Amino acid sequence: MPKRLREDSPSILPSTKRSRTVITTPVDRLSSMSNELLLHILSFLPISSLNVCQRLSRRFHALGGDSELWKRQYYSQWVRPRARRLANVRRSVLPPSKAEYSPKVSTWFDHGHLAVEGRVTNWKRQYRLRHNWASGSCRFTEVEFVEPPCPPVLVKLCSGIVFTADTAHGLRGWAAKDPTRCLCKIAFPELRRQNTRPTALSVSQLENGQEIVVGFEDGHFDRYALDVGTSQLKLLSSHLAFRDGAITAMALSSPYLLIVSQHKLLSLYNLRGRPSNSGDAQDATAPCEIASLRAENMVAPMTLSLRVSTSEIVATIVYSFFHIGCGWSLGIQEQRFAKDGRQLESRLTSTVDSQYGTRPLRTHPQSNQRLRSTSDSTSLLVPAEPSIMHQRPPTSMSYNHPYLLTSHADNTLTMYLVVSDSDRLFVRGGQRLWGHTSSVSTVLVTNRGKAVSVGSLGNEIRIWELETAVSSLNSHRPLNAENSIQVSPDNRAAKSWLDTPKSTRKELSGSELVTSKPQSLDRMYECVGFDEERVLLLGEKTVGTQLLECYDFT
Amino acid sequence: MANITLTSSDGVDVTVERTVADRSVLIKNMLEDLGETGESIPIPNVNEAVLKKVIEWCDHHKNDPPSAGDDDDNRRKTTDIDEWDQKFMQVDQEMLFEVILAANYLDIKALLDVGCKTVANMIKGKSPEEIRKTFNIQNDFTPEEEDQIRRENEWAEDR
Repeated sequence: MPKRLREDSPSILPSTKRSRTVITTPVDRLSSMSNELLLHILSFLPISSLNVCQRLSRRFHALGGDSELWKRQYYSQWVRPRARRLANVRRSVLPPSKAEYSPKVSTWFDHGHLAVEGRVTNWKRQYRLRHNWASGSCRFTEVEFVEPPCPPVLVKLCSGIVFTADTAHGLRGWAAKDPTRCLCKIAFPELRRQNTRPTALSVSQLENGQEIVVGFEDGHFDRYALDVGTSQLKLLSSHLAFRDGAITAMALSSPYLLIVSQHKLLSLYNLRGRPSNSGDAQDATAPCEIASLRAENMVAPMTLSLRVSTSEIVATIVYSFFHIGCGWSLGIQEQRFAKDGRQLESRLTSTVDSQYGTRPLRTHPQSNQRLRSTSDSTSLLVPAEPSIMHQRPPTSMSYNHPYLLTSHADNTLTMYLVVSDSDRLFVRGGQRLWGHTSSVSTVLVTNRGKAVSVGSLGNEIRIWELETAVSSLNSHRPLNAENSIQVSPDNRAAKSWLDTPKSTRKELSGSELVTSKPQSLDRMYECVGFDEERVLLLGEKTVGTQLLECYDFT
Repeated sequence: MANITLTSSDGVDVTVERTVADRSVLIKNMLEDLGETGESIPIPNVNEAVLKKVIEWCDHHKNDPPSAGDDDDNRRKTTDIDEWDQKFMQVDQEMLFEVILAANYLDIKALLDVGCKTVANMIKGKSPEEIRKTFNIQNDFTPEEEDQIRRENEWAEDR
């Protein structure tokens, strides 16, 4: 050890020598301070210096990693600015200075899970995670599914577990941390294994595991449960939903399940609806259909959403349609049900008004143009040309109340805000999001406004923080790359990163011919989900070879 | 206003104005609890030189408004120190740390912050080696450990 000391600091050699002979001389006055005072000093340092301090000595390594220090940094870097922003946007009564470390406020700011009592949070790790998201740096891994099944697999991410469903392997669960490891698998029931393929997959978090529902081509759906403790998948029940068609879309918010058939039949189930009299455990949790209706005007692509509050269930279908004036638009149909399945209300709105750049009127949210021009002097002039016009249907859409995003082949995304309260439903604002340099094939948004969008060739992934963009909704200031960050994996060589698109483009045409997927040609990368720590993409590299790409931000 | 006598750890009596002594929460509370008896107050942890230095600071800041309490994080946003304090803190390391310890003991928050900020400024922007040199900190990592920590912390380097 003395030898290394000499190497490290030749210039202070005399003093170190003295310190070894005359031990009572307190040479290192800083280290002789109490932890409390050192932490006080460290609290004045920026994070870059904190990390440098951790490299000084073992003691400083421990002190510089102090969770309270990082918590304070986390709050001042991520939480308070957001609190101030929200306070401005919503003109909320909550002053920014009140954004202290209380659990209640934590929940409000969407990191309640970090402030759970009795759980030790590694704030430095959390800070680093946020930092990586904000700078787009991550680690990239890809997993090739063995024996690639055709037609393609369905993938969903929920609480750190990736679920895949395909005809050949049934339902499988993978650890998102290490997607090469299969956690659990279960084959589909014998009857269906050969002939029908899964067409929809949905996962919902339960208290002690996950509930998975798989919809099939033949109109059946199977319910599975994953026990986290034992990593066992179990088939709970199998159910026939539609006699005449495949289940094309599904939204699950346990215990409610919303499914749509290929014939545009919409059904809402309560999966734990009927406590049956027979003692059979399977029956006790038999799904109970609480509502069923037809929705004729839906055109793909569409997306389902299910919100469950204490008093009601809100099922929303967002679909695209062609409007003569402003091209492809979105229709939003919202069905509100009471918990017993009684339909409370069915409402319809569209993005047409927003695309024309007008705000809906207070009194007549769904009024037509004649009404608008006469009844309310505060309404804006209706421009002759719509400000947002799409000649081609959106490549994908994602709705997570209140955010509604669509991706387009013209390198942009469009964001709307859906306003839904007890007496009206309308779309507020409409904003093009610029930043992509190629056709955008898929977008996914959370209800906190964090969105991930993927370019059609999978080589361009952008992360959007839309909460800030909301404040500029009405200012007609175009949003651009400032609001988003391009993901740049640290461990992916820049060269291969650029080379991939070319090679895949060639393969693409082949794979499209073979599988003849209904999607548009450029849709080959699919964002299957993202959570606190990672983004998952499903990609297709060569014909039939499906890859799960994992971008890890920890 | 009455004067107070403080006795340093090395037995030297120092007389100060009450308003100056009140900058120290410790002394202020003591005086409020005991009442002004006229007896000298022993300050067993602080020697004469340091005590005089601390009193010099208190005297200059005796008319400062009381700190705004819990704006803890605004206080930490910056390591800016006002000019007089900067000059005041231009002392050798021994005195600097003694003043910090005394401020901590006497519970003079603003002085403690000034001291800690001064030290923080000595750390800021330096490499680990430079910091070790500045404070004579002994590196007790193995080269492998040091390298690992460096890699772990690379993400937060200044952009």
